[in-house]
Amino acid sequence: MECSFAITGKGYVIVAADTTAAHSIIKVKLDEDKIKTLSPHLLMAYSGEPGDTVQFAEYIERNIRLYQIRNTYPLRPSSAASWIRRALADSLRSRKPYSVNLLLGGYDTSTYTPHLYWIDYLGTLTEVPFGAHGYGSYFALSLLDRYHDPEASLEEGLATLKRCIDEVSKRLLVAPGRYKVKVVDKDGVREVEI
Amino acid sequence: MSIMEYNGGSVIAMVGKDCVAIASDLRLGVQSLSISSNFQKIFPVTDRIYVGLPGLASDVTTLHEQFRYRVNMYTIKEEREIEPQTFAQMVSSTLYERRFGPYFIEPVIAGMQRTPSGSYEPFIAATDLIGCLNFAKDFVVAGTASSELFGAAEGLWEPDLEAEDLFETISQTLLNAVDRDTFSGWGAVVHVMTKDKVITRTLKGRMD
Amino acid sequence: MTSFYSGPGFDFSNTVRNNFLQDRGLPLPKATSTGTTIVGCIYKDGVVLGADTRATEGPIVADKNCEKIHYITESIRCCGAGTAADTEFTTALISSNMEMHALSTGRKPRVVTAMTMLKQMLFRYQGHVGAALVLGGVDVTGPHLFTIAPHGSTDKLPYVTMGSGSLAAMAVFEAGWKPDMTREEALELVVAAISAGIFNDLGSGSNVDACVITANKTEMLRNFVRPNERVTKERSYGFRRGTTAWKKEQIRSLIVSEEVVKHGEAMDVS
Repeated sequence: MECSFAITGKGYVIVAADTTAAHSIIKVKLDEDKIKTLSPHLLMAYSGEPGDTVQFAEYIERNIRLYQIRNTYPLRPSSAASWIRRALADSLRSRKPYSVNLLLGGYDTSTYTPHLYWIDYLGTLTEVPFGAHGYGSYFALSLLDRYHDPEASLEEGLATLKRCIDEVSKRLLVAPGRYKVKVVDKDGVREVEI
Repeated sequence: MSIMEYNGGSVIAMVGKDCVAIASDLRLGVQSLSISSNFQKIFPVTDRIYVGLPGLASDVTTLHEQFRYRVNMYTIKEEREIEPQTFAQMVSSTLYERRFGPYFIEPVIAGMQRTPSGSYEPFIAATDLIGCLNFAKDFVVAGTASSELFGAAEGLWEPDLEAEDLFETISQTLLNAVDRDTFSGWGAVVHVMTKDKVITRTLKGRMD
Repeated sequence: MTSFYSGPGFDFSNTVRNNFLQDRGLPLPKATSTGTTIVGCIYKDGVVLGADTRATEGPIVADKNCEKIHYITESIRCCGAGTAADTEFTTALISSNMEMHALSTGRKPRVVTAMTMLKQMLFRYQGHVGAALVLGGVDVTGPHLFTIAPHGSTDKLPYVTMGSGSLAAMAVFEAGWKPDMTREEALELVVAAISAGIFNDLGSGSNVDACVITANKTEMLRNFVRPNERVTKERSYGFRRGTTAWKKEQIRSLIVSEEVVKHGEAMDVS
């Protein structure tokens, strides 16, 4: 089943999402990238109803890009989070709402601070030091309550993330096999291997 | 389980002597899973009005944005700040407009109302999810711990409390009530408003 | 989507979402209702209306002293039972329309006019606006008393009761009502009827509000009888300052201070 995690640390946000694409009981793809890079310092991990997820993520991606083209600078993470939340809340009032859950991680280049937002398909938005979606969240959140450190270095942050992934792999019956991990900090977005 | 209990959270407001207080818990959950321990449900409307919005978290944000918009429009059109009484009516009409498709929020309003003589008097109000106003002279409560809050406040509230004493009374009422509610808790915030200042304190509460 | 100048009437844009949530197994919550006792009674010179002051939210008493006798015009008043917000907004709307009607006709408005406006509105909403009303007043044609049910049906009677305490109140009326009562007799009977509701119906409680309407005077007797006064607490339950532990404090001062600094030379005004 789908799992995504994200944690903030000293000047960075790590976002991780599993890479399986499933159709009922069948795994149809094992290297699906479910983390979109919305702008030079903004990452979005998405999960939920197949079809809705990619459609919605691309809609967000292109509108965030459009804003950047029109205004020459990108939206800051908090503003992007607000806009994305509104898109989901409005969608929920339409005939066929998007069923998409998001983790939005970004680095604010004007205040030099990392930000992480937890957003669900109802349009719930909250800023969190760490967050997770899917069944993995039941394991990851309690681990992160114990091990998360907002002042941790990137190496320590990745070690904490590894703990979460290992725990989920060990204890969750329907644990996904592989994860893609991306980091956003002052230098922008990059993928890391764990 | 009802939609009102989906995310959890509670708000209370109390009147004191020339002061008011409004307080809430800080939990955001998805049913029994807690997501955040810093989810603000109380928002400043003007310098002297605070509104608490317990209920469905999506609507907390949506209504906060909607009220901010309407209050800004009012301020521009009228060229003056909105008064608590007027704001309460605005909240009520906004909710009743959606009588047949409501927002899942039970707002609580606290503020200092300007009197004709130029001084300020405490004002509190609460509405149900379709905007039925309740102007109480003592305290108002809302949220998943409302029945616990009613009981605790009924026992602990007394008239003419000074700001510092009101802080203790509202804090103890809230903390003890949310400890008996599974969907509320995970820290609390209290705002105590007098005619010339607002004291905001983050409380130490149980995290279970 | 949100417009400050939204059109008149109800906004249904949330219903799709709410039905969606309901389908996911989250039942829609209940609104505040006034499980109420409201009554009205015609006497020699006019009408007496009565109401209790309890508002309930399921089994919880939401408001111990609310007002259920609503203003329609100076000599027409309306008691409301049912969904509290509906009684509040329906009477406010009709009150506004009655004022407009009085202004455009230049006459004192009649009770039947208010009754017709209310029943037409409630019928239009097919009972979804859950207001059960007792409408009373005096106009040029004399005193009138009506009940209006949520679906829009009306009754014109010399004494009426509504709400969850209507049975208890009606029992008192049936036992004690007689034609051409005096003001005192009528008021006493109304108080007895409301009291029967307050003490025998769980949905009703607290105080008795009454309103006496005659051709040239309307007396709103708010909290006319208060049979359930709360006794003063024998001791204080205040906490010693410093009881509550807090982690963070932020103080916002609302005092605006301004310092005028003289700058440059004064203008030569000689």
